[in-house]
Amino acid sequence: MKIYTYAIIDSNSKISDTINGLEGIGVYNIPYRDMGIVVSSHSEQIQNITKDHILKYEEIVERLMEDFTVLPMRFLTLFNREEDVLLMMQEHYNGFKGNLDRLRNKVEFGIKVIWQGETIKNRIIESSKKCYANLVIPDNSPGKSFVKEKFEKYKIDKEFEEEADRCITIIDYFFSRFIAEKKLEKLKSDNLLLSASYLIEKEKQKDFIEVFEKIRAAPGDLKFLLSGPWPPYNFIVFTKNANMFNRKPVSQDRAGENAI
Amino acid sequence: MTINRIVETDSPQDFIEEIEKIQGALPKRIDANPKNVEKGLAKLVLTLIELIRKLLEKQAMRRIDAGSLSEEEIEGVGETLMKLENKMQELKGIFGLKDEELNLNLGPLGDLM
Repeated sequence: MKIYTYAIIDSNSKISDTINGLEGIGVYNIPYRDMGIVVSSHSEQIQNITKDHILKYEEIVERLMEDFTVLPMRFLTLFNREEDVLLMMQEHYNGFKGNLDRLRNKVEFGIKVIWQGETIKNRIIESSKKCYANLVIPDNSPGKSFVKEKFEKYKIDKEFEEEADRCITIIDYFFSRFIAEKKLEKLKSDNLLLSASYLIEKEKQKDFIEVFEKIRAAPGDLKFLLSGPWPPYNFIVFTKNANMFNRKPVSQDRAGENAI
Repeated sequence: MTINRIVETDSPQDFIEEIEKIQGALPKRIDANPKNVEKGLAKLVLTLIELIRKLLEKQAMRRIDAGSLSEEEIEGVGETLMKLENKMQELKGIFGLKDEELNLNLGPLGDLM
């Protein structure tokens, strides 16, 4: 038997609706103390994983999110026996509990912002040609010429990043008023200025979306993308140390070492 | 409660292109098999060396920017960095590796290249 896992939820009750999991097999909740883990049991391991499997998994996690606080399991985390699932729950109970409490009634939104990165960089390069024309580094030897070239590039990149920081600070200021937590990634490419994940209380979703609409409508070259609400994929904080004070020995073989 | 998923943008194509660009920059896994194990290993080692080289270079630029290096020291640093870069080019050529193949996702720090 192979047990595919979908999410830890903050309920130890039976799932009232019929939800079909991977390969159309119904999912059920395995209770552990005051929480549970939603799984589906399969006679054998799924051989050919397709895009449809990934979308199905996502659909199930989102369906569970309608009724529960969810901690999504990594896609295709599987166990051989229910006993193994329970051992994993026992070992990591404190970590799961802490995350469920912290993420209760919260959802994740994604914001991406594109700016005219290439144009901005070209402008910086043009102005740097004037600024660094009389640079302090003399280029009267191969070593110094090499450093001069690298230093000019370093200064251009630095100025580019500083401009990005200024822009991100302004954008983030407007969203930060409504959020519980955030994760910002700057300049994943020259044009992708910001890739942000915001954790928001469910009751503040409307305010957050309204702010997005206002920023999006503001004049300028920035392009915005909003997506959500998502399960809190980017906000699950999980370390093995979280359970070090309540750990019991676990000796059985486990198939799901990489859970969450 | 029903979730009303929102995906809102005026420029979907621009975002698709940027995201594809980022995803294409990093290999999904190290391609190690008996036929190309040498190249796979070289790629891994050279990526790590490249990371260290870039860190050294950045630190040197910071020190120059702060004005804490003398002209002689700049000369020494320049020569060292130049030799390192030339050696890396040579090694990449031997193993048939391109610059974009020596990339590394450094988590919150972004990508190496």
